[in-house]
This record gives sequence, C-alpha cells and structure tokens, in this order.
Amino acid sequence: MQTQLESVLREVEKVIVGKRAVIEKILMALLAEGHVLLEDVPGVGKTTLAVALSRAMDLRFQRVQFTPDVLPSDLTGFSMYDKRSGDFLYRSGALIRANLLLGDEINRAPSKTQSALLEAMEERQVTVDGETHPLENPFMVIATENNVGTAGTQSLPFAELDRFLVRLSLGYPDYEAQMTMLRDRRTENPLDSVACVMARDELIAMQRETRNVTVRDAILDYITRLSMASREHKAVQVGISPRGALFLSRMSAARACLEGRDYVTGGDVQAVLKDVCAHRVLLKENVREAGVEQVLDELVKTTDNPDRRHLFQGMKNA
Amino acid sequence: MRKRWIGYAVWLLLTACLYFFENNTGTRAILLCALLFPLVPSLRMALFTADEPPREEKRTPRTARRFRLLEEEEPGDVRPYQPGDPVRRIHWKLSARRDELLVRGTEREQNPFEAEQTVTAEASGRRKTPRSLPVRLCAGILACSVGSLILIPEARNSAMALCNGIFRASEAVNAYAYDPFPVPEGQSVLLAAALLAAALTALIALMILLRSKKMAMGLTGALTLFQVYFGLPFPAWANLSVYGLLALWMIRGPGGEKSLRRFIAAILLVTLFTALLAPGTDAGTEAASETVRDRLNRLAQRIAGEVSEQPEGETETRHVHTRSLQTGNGEARTDREYRLVMLEEEQISIPRFVNWLRTAFLFLLMVAVTVLPFAPFLLLNARKRKAREARRAFASEQVNEAVCAIFRQILTWLRETGVDGGNLLYREWADTLPEDMPEGYAARFGECAMDFEEAVYSDHDLPEEKRQLALALLKETETARFRTADWRQRLRIRYWVCLCE
Repeated sequence: MQTQLESVLREVEKVIVGKRAVIEKILMALLAEGHVLLEDVPGVGKTTLAVALSRAMDLRFQRVQFTPDVLPSDLTGFSMYDKRSGDFLYRSGALIRANLLLGDEINRAPSKTQSALLEAMEERQVTVDGETHPLENPFMVIATENNVGTAGTQSLPFAELDRFLVRLSLGYPDYEAQMTMLRDRRTENPLDSVACVMARDELIAMQRETRNVTVRDAILDYITRLSMASREHKAVQVGISPRGALFLSRMSAARACLEGRDYVTGGDVQAVLKDVCAHRVLLKENVREAGVEQVLDELVKTTDNPDRRHLFQGMKNA
Repeated sequence: MRKRWIGYAVWLLLTACLYFFENNTGTRAILLCALLFPLVPSLRMALFTADEPPREEKRTPRTARRFRLLEEEEPGDVRPYQPGDPVRRIHWKLSARRDELLVRGTEREQNPFEAEQTVTAEASGRRKTPRSLPVRLCAGILACSVGSLILIPEARNSAMALCNGIFRASEAVNAYAYDPFPVPEGQSVLLAAALLAAALTALIALMILLRSKKMAMGLTGALTLFQVYFGLPFPAWANLSVYGLLALWMIRGPGGEKSLRRFIAAILLVTLFTALLAPGTDAGTEAASETVRDRLNRLAQRIAGEVSEQPEGETETRHVHTRSLQTGNGEARTDREYRLVMLEEEQISIPRFVNWLRTAFLFLLMVAVTVLPFAPFLLLNARKRKAREARRAFASEQVNEAVCAIFRQILTWLRETGVDGGNLLYREWADTLPEDMPEGYAARFGECAMDFEEAVYSDHDLPEEKRQLALALLKETETARFRTADWRQRLRIRYWVCLCE
C-alpha cells in the first residue's frame, strides 16, 4: 500500500518539482476524505497539481473557474423541461460525476454558489428540485484562493473555512526546482508523462484502512487538550472547534497511514496541527498580526505531549 | 527550586540563631522570622536577580507593531454588539470598517502579549545590560557610603554612637536590657547619620530609577524589622502613610500578580502585627493595641475555660509600665536590675496565644530536626521499590510492556544525568542528546523511541528481539552516561545500580 502511494507521489512529483511535503499533505487529505483549501499566488501550479493527481490515481477531474456570475446550478445541475417527453430532465452540473473537483478562486464566487459547494462537500450529495443525487466516491474538492488582487472578491466566512480539512500553500519553487521545471517544460508537457499507477478502488480501500487506524485514548486526550488549550489561550478569540478536533484526528490517522503505520502517534498530531487548525483559529483583534502559527507553536510547546504523559502515568493505555 | 530551598534554610538558621543567642528577646525574634518567612522567596529574588523593566527600544519590530495596532486602531476594548448594549457605546467607525457592530467596552483590555513579554523580560533579566549613568551614579553613592561606614574607623565609631543613641531611644520606650557599644567620648553621630542618609537616598533613587518593586518590598521588610525590633516611636499617621506609600509602590505597574497579592497580604499582616504586638509605635496605637491584646487574651482564657484573675477593664499593661518608667525617677532608667524586672513583666504581658504559637513553632522545628535527617532514606526507599518494579517489568511476558519499562528507564538515566528534552516527543530527544555519546547512539535511540511509540500506541505485539534491542540500548546508555557523568552523578548512579541489583 505504501508502495502505491509512493508511486503516486513520484508521478505527481514529475510535474510539481520539489514540493513533496505539500503533495503528501494533499494525499493525506484524500485518505482522510477531506477537502483542501490552497491559498497561493497565481502560477505556482495549483491546477497542474490537481490534474496530475487525478491522472495518477485514475480520478475523474472537473474544474470550475469561479467568477461572480457562476451560479449554484452550474455546480449542482438543474432540471429542464423537455418538450418531446413533456417531462423535466435533470442536467448534471460540475459536481456530479467528479472525483476531484478543482474550484479555482473560490473567493470570487458569490456567497450562494460558495455555500452550495460547501454543502455538497459536507453531505456528499446534491439535491435539485427535491431529487437527491449522490456524488461520486471518492470525492474531494481542492479549492484555491489568491491572496493578491482581492478586489471584488467575497472571502469565505470563518464558519465555512471550518469545513475544509486543511489549508495549504504551495509557495514558490526554489532555484533548483524552477530550473528543472523550465528545462522540462521547454519541449513537452510533463502532464502527458503522468501514468496512472493506482486504481480508484484501491484508493477507496485505503480510505477505509485509514478509518481503521488505531487511535489510542492517549492520542485523543492529547487532541482534546490541545483544542481546549486553544480555546483558553489568551490571544485567541475562537479556538479549535470540535469539528476541528475531529478533523485533526482524521488527518493524523491519514499521516500515520501514509507513513506505513497502523497507529497514530503524538508526532502525527503535531505534524498536521498547523495545516488542520491554522484556518480554524481566530485571534483577538489586537493581536491578529501576531500570527496563528506562533500561537499554535506555543500550544504544542505548552501542552504535555502524550509520550510525556505516558512516562508520568506508567502503563495506562486502554 | 534549589535557590528557594537555600532561602528556607537561611530562614531556619536565622530563626535558630536569633532564638539561641538572644534568649531574652527570643519570642519577638521568632515572631519576626515567622513574619518574614513568606517573604523569603521575594527577598531571594530581590537579592539575586536584577530585574530590568522592558525598555522601549528593546521591543522587536513585531511587538512594536502590535503595540501600535493596539493603540491606534482600538482606543479601548471593543467587543461584538450584544442586544441590550447602549447605542451610545457602539464604535461606529470601527463597526463600519469591520462590517459588524462593535461596542466599546468600559475598560481597556489588557494586551495578552504584554504580560508574556514581561515574563520573558524577567526571565532574561539576568543578562548584563549596560545601565544608564544615573543608575550607576546612585549605585556608586550607595556603595561608597556603605563602604565608608564599614571601613573608616571614624565613621564606624560614629555609627556605633548612632546605634547607641537609637537603642537608648528605644530603651526609653521599651525598657530593654541593653549594653551599649564602647564608643570614645565626644564622638559625633553626624558623620554616620550623613552617610546613612546618603545611602538611603541613593537606594531610594535607585529603586525609582530601576522601577523595581522588589526593592520596595525589601525596604518595607527592613522598615518593619527596624520598627518591630527597636520599637521606635513613629507617630501612627506617619507609620500608616509610609506603609501605604510602599504598598502603592508595589501595586503599581503590570505583571507578577500572584506574588504581589501574596506580598500585600504579608504587608497587611506585618502592619497588623506591628500595631498589635510590637511595642512603642505610638502612644495612641500602643494603648489600642494593648486593649486588643488584652481582649484576645481574655477570649483565649475563656475558650480555655480559665477564670481570669483580673477584673475586666483593669488591664495591667506594658504601656503603663513604660509610662511610669518615663515619668519615674531618673535612677530607674539607668538601673539595670530594675530594667530586667521590667523585661520579665513585658514577657508576661505578651498574650498567651503568642506563647502557644511559639510552642507550636518549636514543635514544628523539633519535628523538622528529627525528620529531616531521615528524609533521604524515606525517599530512597520509595525509589528502591520503584526500581525493583521497573526491573521486574523488564522481564515481563508482554514485550510491549517490557519495552515501555526499559525505555522509561533509559529516559530516567538521561534525565538524571542532565539530558532533558522537556516537552519534546521522545523521538525528537535524539536531537537533544549531548555530543559525547557513542557513535550511532542517537540513531539507535530514535529507533528505540519508535519501538516505544509502537508499543504504546498500536494494537499489535512487538517481536521478542525488540526487547533485546532496548536492553542493549539501556546498557549502552548506562555505560555512556556513567563515563561522562561528574562525581555527584556517578555517586547517584552507583547507588541506583546497588538498588537495582
């Protein structure tokens, strides 16, 4: 199973050079059945990444470029009167039959479109005219956001940010990576060289396996203490929600799975904490500039990790 | 931690010394020490740490920005509007900008990072920073005057004369038995007084310049000690205002709330005791305190079921004695025998509950003296039992449990020999290991930490060879740490090995 994920990583790395950590995290989110928010400047390869991922894993890929006039029905589909049969026919939208949906510049969409997408993400089904259509399995949304040129955009409300499993950022490639990329792209499109190395069913099996990863009470206790500490931190207005804690445990399990373990350790939680929780924590007005990352670092530093607890409590793991 | 124990030890020693060497004033000395006891950590801090307040220019750009944000954008504390808030309070400008209704709070919210900053500043306060000129000047004056008081014979004599004067003054009120310092005739007290005044002025200036609260604490303590011991007649209002000012000084400024509260409590206690139990602050206070003491005594007697021999209202107090001593014939004042009699009477007039306190304190002292020598043995016994249990777990049938126990033992070794990764995951401890460990040790430690994680967090059992690996690592740790340990650690390690075998 690791070998397969490893080969997927290798395939995607052919296209996105030197961004292994981010690709790993997106894979983790996929294993944890969550959705990803990519926040980045234009042109660092968000779309390419998504396409490469869908090709390597045989996923059906859909892309929606959000603009202020994209309507909810563009996503969910709509019913239309058919003259010949005298009946209403359902025309599917972008969400239906997609395994991997890239929502480009989600913050340019009007809020009703945003909420339609976010509800589909949450419930994995769409309802049009009282008719419920289940979405494909697996289903993952990679939404992107630019943090430059935000004029005329409608940024996602804090509550809706909470529905994304992780918020990631690709960032610029380093010198070596960019040189490689320039060299490779001169003659051919590297996307063509991405081979399908994993079947969709295998991915579904892996997701099931991720769900079955052992999470000891000590780890759950650590997650709970972390989230509670975030709520009580003096610089924090809104801390990690219960859903955030749940996502944190799922993402930790996915990381364990990716690393080839069937149990979650404290290190897993610490490794994914920032990605899962940075967009869920709202600082107080007067310290907002201080940075969520700093606060999360502080939380990790001040909260007793499960290893340490274990040493104090002795063998007490049920 | 260790320093605190040193503080306590010093306190104990002081108490014992005062008690044994000044037998006739023993009660008061014990009382004093009991009062000063809560102050010991604060005094230690005052003595050992130079606390510099965070300076403006030391702020990093980031914090500076934070402060600016706080000051410019939010003139007060704002919070989301809730139904029922008066409309007048709505911060319209900010609300318009933020797109939500915000209400001005009544008070300015404390910046959560500010307290933190003070803490860090305090923690790093020991580093040597160049001090400003006035500070150095004041410190110089202080050192010079104190030094000359001690070193120059003339000044020393003068200081002794001053002491004699003070004692005489306190005698007049207190009827102390006191042998004066031998001072040559005609020695003026002016020199010592001038030097002392210079020292005091410099000290106060220093305190103001350093904005230190601990110095104020120290000053309060010293003043209280002085007053209680010598019983010098300050007018009550002066006394109260001095203490009030000092207390205000201490409350001023942010940070250190907990110790501050403790300290204020201590000061209140000290003031109360000075007023109630210490003689001679002021005639009015004295009379009042005598009455209170008398009532307390009566109450104590009533509780104990004893019948008071004195009828109510007719209190024979030390104050009366003092008065009679002052107004009596001049001979009485110089008559040592008479004074000793007076002293005895004074001790009689000390309320009974103080004697109880004294007994209780002595009892505690005795317990401490009898228990302390055995404490190490008690502790070591517990440790021995623990070590045995750990060793038993090493051979446990369940490999998981054994690996956990062995790894815990490895960590104990590391911690006891000064390697502590704190709140790091154990896997990350490998990076904090000292360089003098054998080659490849960090890698092996990392592997063992991963085995430990598997043993603790997974469902499956580890293979038997993991136990052997962990045991080998334990052995290696023991030898490596023993090689690099200093003699104290070696002694401890030897002891453990004895314990475990």
